Amino acid sequence: MLTKFETKSARVKGLSFHPKRPWILASLHNGVIQLWDYRMCTLIDKFDEHDGPVRGIDFHKQQPLFVSGGDDYKIKVWNYKLRRCLFTLLGHLDYIRTTFFHHEYPWILSASDDQTIRIWNWQSRTCVCVLTGHNHYVMCAQFHPSEDLVVSASLDQTVRVWDISGLRKKNLSPGAVETDVRGISGVDLFGASDAVVKHVLEAQEFSKAWELDTCRGHYNNVSCAVFHPRQELILSNSEDKSIRVWDMSKRTGVQTFRRDHDRFWVLGAHPNLNLFAAGHDSGMLVFKLERERPAYAVYGNMLYYVKDRFLRQLDFNSSKDTAVMQLRSGSKFPVFSMSYNPAENAVLLCTRATNLENSTYDLYAIPKESDSQNPDAPEGKRSSGLTAVWVARNRFAVLDRMHSLLIKNLKNEIVKKVQVPSCEEIFYAGTGSLLLRDADGVTLFDVQQKRSLATVKIAKVKYVVWSADTSHVALLAKHAIMICNRKLESLCNIHENIRVKSGAWDESGVFIYTTSNHIKYALTSGDHGIIRTLDLPIYVTRVRGNSVYCLDRECRPRVLTIDPTEYRFKLALVNRKYEETDFVTPDLSLHFVKDEKTRFTLALECGNIEVALEAAKALDERGCWERLGEAALLQGHHQVVEMCYQRTKNFDKLTFLYLITGNLAKLRKMMKIAEIRKDMSGHYQGALYLGDVSERVRILKNCGQKSLAYLTAATHGMDEEAESLKETFDLEKETVPEVDLNAQLLQPPPPINPLDTNWPLLTVSKGFFEGAIAAKGKAGQMAADMDVDAPGGEGWGEDAELQLDEDGFMDAQDGLGEEGGAAKEEGGGWEVEEDLDLPPELELSAGSGGGAEDGFFVPPTKGMSPTQLWCNNSQLPVDHVLAGSFETAMRLLHDQVGVVQFGPYKQLFMQTLSRGRTCYLGLPSLPCLRGNPQRNWKDCGTKQGLPAVGLRLSDLIARLQQCYQLTTAGRFEEAVERFRAILLSVPLLVVDNKQEIAEAQQLITICREYIVGLTMETERKKLPKETLDQQKRLCEMAAYFTHCSLQPVHMVLVLRTALNLFFKLKNFKTAASFARRLLELGPKPEVAQQTRKILAACEKTLTDAHQLNYDPHNPFDLCAASYTPLYRGRPVEKCPLSGACYCPPYKGQVCRVTQVTEIGKDVIGLRVSPLQFR
Amino acid sequence: MATQQGDVDELFDVKNAYYIGSYQQCINEAQKVKRKYAVVMDDIKASSSPELQAVKMFAEYRANEGKRDAIVAELDKKMSKNVDVANTTFLLMAASIYYHEMNSDAALRTLHQGESLECMAMTIQVLLSLDRVDLARKELKKMQEQDEDATLTQLSTAWVNIAVGGEKLQDAYYIFQEMSDKYSPTLLLLNGQAACHMAQNKWEEAEGVLQEALDKDSSHPETLINLIVLTQHLGKAPEVTNRYLSQLKDAHRAHPFLKDYLTKENEFDRLTMQYAPTATA
Repeated sequence: MLTKFETKSARVKGLSFHPKRPWILASLHNGVIQLWDYRMCTLIDKFDEHDGPVRGIDFHKQQPLFVSGGDDYKIKVWNYKLRRCLFTLLGHLDYIRTTFFHHEYPWILSASDDQTIRIWNWQSRTCVCVLTGHNHYVMCAQFHPSEDLVVSASLDQTVRVWDISGLRKKNLSPGAVETDVRGISGVDLFGASDAVVKHVLEAQEFSKAWELDTCRGHYNNVSCAVFHPRQELILSNSEDKSIRVWDMSKRTGVQTFRRDHDRFWVLGAHPNLNLFAAGHDSGMLVFKLERERPAYAVYGNMLYYVKDRFLRQLDFNSSKDTAVMQLRSGSKFPVFSMSYNPAENAVLLCTRATNLENSTYDLYAIPKESDSQNPDAPEGKRSSGLTAVWVARNRFAVLDRMHSLLIKNLKNEIVKKVQVPSCEEIFYAGTGSLLLRDADGVTLFDVQQKRSLATVKIAKVKYVVWSADTSHVALLAKHAIMICNRKLESLCNIHENIRVKSGAWDESGVFIYTTSNHIKYALTSGDHGIIRTLDLPIYVTRVRGNSVYCLDRECRPRVLTIDPTEYRFKLALVNRKYEETDFVTPDLSLHFVKDEKTRFTLALECGNIEVALEAAKALDERGCWERLGEAALLQGHHQVVEMCYQRTKNFDKLTFLYLITGNLAKLRKMMKIAEIRKDMSGHYQGALYLGDVSERVRILKNCGQKSLAYLTAATHGMDEEAESLKETFDLEKETVPEVDLNAQLLQPPPPINPLDTNWPLLTVSKGFFEGAIAAKGKAGQMAADMDVDAPGGEGWGEDAELQLDEDGFMDAQDGLGEEGGAAKEEGGGWEVEEDLDLPPELELSAGSGGGAEDGFFVPPTKGMSPTQLWCNNSQLPVDHVLAGSFETAMRLLHDQVGVVQFGPYKQLFMQTLSRGRTCYLGLPSLPCLRGNPQRNWKDCGTKQGLPAVGLRLSDLIARLQQCYQLTTAGRFEEAVERFRAILLSVPLLVVDNKQEIAEAQQLITICREYIVGLTMETERKKLPKETLDQQKRLCEMAAYFTHCSLQPVHMVLVLRTALNLFFKLKNFKTAASFARRLLELGPKPEVAQQTRKILAACEKTLTDAHQLNYDPHNPFDLCAASYTPLYRGRPVEKCPLSGACYCPPYKGQVCRVTQVTEIGKDVIGLRVSPLQFR
Repeated sequence: MATQQGDVDELFDVKNAYYIGSYQQCINEAQKVKRKYAVVMDDIKASSSPELQAVKMFAEYRANEGKRDAIVAELDKKMSKNVDVANTTFLLMAASIYYHEMNSDAALRTLHQGESLECMAMTIQVLLSLDRVDLARKELKKMQEQDEDATLTQLSTAWVNIAVGGEKLQDAYYIFQEMSDKYSPTLLLLNGQAACHMAQNKWEEAEGVLQEALDKDSSHPETLINLIVLTQHLGKAPEVTNRYLSQLKDAHRAHPFLKDYLTKENEFDRLTMQYAPTATA
């Protein structure tokens, strides 16, 4: 039993919970009724009108009413909002025991010692029914919660059930279903039938038919008993000074709560919440039977919590909520706390018994995979202990019932016992440490060294919340929070009047915590404040941005949004240490105050009319508009002034405003409005302002001021009007007034320039915030710019990928079919070798192991290193290089792609080797140990390992861009070097699928085309151009270059060179063909224009002046050594790696493109994927 | 390194700092202990001379490349006689020398005579360098039986776990992580974490850890070696990798990694000779 709230007063005889608010009414023996807020622990009101004890008390469910019945025979109905008694119902002739409202009808049911039960209508304030039949005091009478029944209990030893359906029907409003009414009237003939006794249960009968159970235990009169609203429990209290809880299914008492001196008199149950109240001789207490705090633990993005005997896991990111396991049943107590171990995926669940010594904990390994619908129920390990907390990956600490500390391992075996200073509770404190709580403080304790490191004084810490990086810790007590650093040095103390419930650290190091009714924040500097209010307590699990993740009392995960602006701002202040005074201005506060009223006031204070207007619109209160109007008028902000006057319907001021701003149209409108409103003086005033004399005459005439009307008309020379008015005068009774001959014309000056715009204002220097926000906006734009740039880079990438066209892919697949077959056999051969190798190794290790045990030490032989295994498991050259087996790697490259000259590969080999193995330090001053990263580390076991490659196809493709740029820049030699580096790297790739194999081959083709073209161009530039033959040769080479497959941007350049050379040579026909090809590529406008000119010139004489070894229409390959065309059908030798073509005489030489392979060598082919061996 | 029996080990911080590679702290702590616990130091002094001699021998071996053969010869002589098995320091220093000499047989034979956690830990390291994970596990089990929670046992567990690979890598990572949480992240612990990450192909995670290590010491050889591995796996430009390599070459010419590297270069050159094109231009 957990006491939430206690009061001290005279004997409490009646109790009633408010169904929604955290309120309880207590009626006292001295006639006073108290209204308490049990959450805030405050007395809200006192109602003292009864004379003598008040026993009956009940809140109305919807209305702000409650009813009380006292020993003064009075029933009083009260309104707690008006804070007074509305009326008194008189009629009972003795003490009133209970009073209750009906849940639906405007009825009150009262039971009295005068042996009657009465039903009253509190609207008509009359007694509608008297139920007679009991022949002793009626101790209690209640309405059935849904049916037309009343049950009553009396000292005459009977319980009666009354049917009041007659009363209900009679009270139906007239015009309701008529037949019913007739039916009732029929019954009515036989006399009083409003309430009929349905059953009478006498005491003897209880024992036979009605007594289901007897709960024995109290040893004095039982005062009151109630059913638990949601569980199979009965609560009772008694004059024996105890409250007892009974289990209905087991028919036994489960809990007893005793007081020393006070007899209990009454019990109340909250209709919705897990709350009870009990009144006794000197006050009352509000309590609940068990904790509602869910047990939970947070790790990374995961929340683990216990709900209904299940351990559930919630992924904060995806909000996926799954049950991961079922808990072992058997404890009647809910799980108290949880400690989660991410390394072992294990949990410790602690369960507190009423008697602390009987507390237990369970150690569970969470199943790896689990069906959420029907999760596994793994066998846990249960032991006794107050609390169990992980202290290391494989160790946890248990505070046992003797309050000593045990360290246990994953098998739940005691590893060691640690002597600790007196300690009542332990908390997690990072690896190897614990926080120990004693009577008046918390101690940081190193478990391994068995010594205390630091102590801080704070009473009764209940929860401990570490920040994610464990740099800070919040210690939560009932009414206090202390924030400490890692060394347990106190940084701040916060006192709360309301109970502190839970907390979590946000990413920026602000502690967000909840009390019973608020979410609050605390900075480590001690600054704290309210973020928002709460209806019901919640338990914060995580804070991220403006989301607060929490569990409610029903264990439902929820997400609340908060506005973090205020504490972020304060945090910024603390961290950057601005001169604080500068910032505590209303202007600044405006930006983070969201409450409109405060915002409005602040805005006015700093003269920010716009913000004030916004707030005023939101509030829309007369007072606000008035204040805003005044402020705006002072600033000459007359548009806002106008709006304020309009909103407050201040016509006079509005009219005057229009006058002084020269807005005649609106002024006239105001006059019309005044007329409609029959506001004569306003109407007249308007006419006066407008200088509208005839209107004034009309007004005066209409309101019976005939003489004034006449005078006005006459004075202004409106003779006709004056005459007609004069005629209406009854000359006998009235005198026509004299017209002042010296009268001067009184006319308002006409406005020269109506004031449409506001009064000019000085520019106000921008506040810190506006500046900061503006700057932020700019930064955002910069980022956006960057983004715009980025696609440009990617655009290149796309181009490069486009280059890898479908043709190549098809070829690769064709090739694969054949080669795959051959490879299979080879694979088999390797396997055989492996089998032969391994057995002797295994035997050896077994043998040496045995030798060691004999006593005489035989040093073991060397084992099989992972790198050896890599070589055994793979025939891809790179795996062998990574393993450091250069010899086999070379052989593979030789056999697969015909490498015969390894010089250029040296750099690649060494680099590859250097990424094969990592380092980690063993014992100090010894050489380091080596790690072997493997690409299939997850499932390779001990024998099937393959090294992590560290060279990706995508990286190589990305490197093409650099080469392209160098090409564009005309740095051909550098470009060729880079292309070659890529080309040589391709055989050292490992790829996963056929598409990538094709891409790798395509990459080789691209490199080859560029290398051939660019080396030829470099060569061409070195050639002399004196003679015609030399010039012809130059032209030929330029023409061949146009047949290399290049990027359009490069092809444009190549074609232009060829075009110019051929044009100069007067080979116009061929030049024209280059020009056309060039135009097809869509070059830049100026290039296109020039090309068109040349083309036009060429087309005048479409002939070639000289015969060249170049036929654009006859397809050819280019010999990469002699730079001569090899027309289709002529014999050709190819490079086994790059595929570059050569005239037959070059066979056996080193390929000019790769500089490593032998031309025309018979090879297996490029192998970059295990797929190629299947 | 004499282990004191008793509930509270006054030298705990010193030893701990030493094992996890926090040498500066180790020295600080040692001085603190000296001041506070003069008695303890006196204790050690009384029985220290043979141990100190052993340390001196090792220091000499490490310092003078020229004298090494002589020192090893002398050591061999000593080892062939009866050895004071209780002198753990001597055993450790002797084994260290043998290990540096790549004479793992002798190292293991020496260590076999000792019973202390230190001897067992070194045995495990030697076994791992021999790729005998099976035997290393056996030795580890013995250590765990003696004191599972000792820092050395934990570290040894991590080494073995890295060698075993697979799921054990995460366990190894947690051990390093736990120690850096508990004490402070030293180069040893950070490189251990990096090795675990890289073994799990978590290159980005490794980058963070190694960067932290690099910030602590920009010329720490093992960190540089790991960075050479990492930068390539991250697909960084070859220039980045080469920078770390030349940094390593500049500062740690005698590091086994570089020795190995040089050997391999020579091997490459030798192997290249075996290949040639059939025709020359």
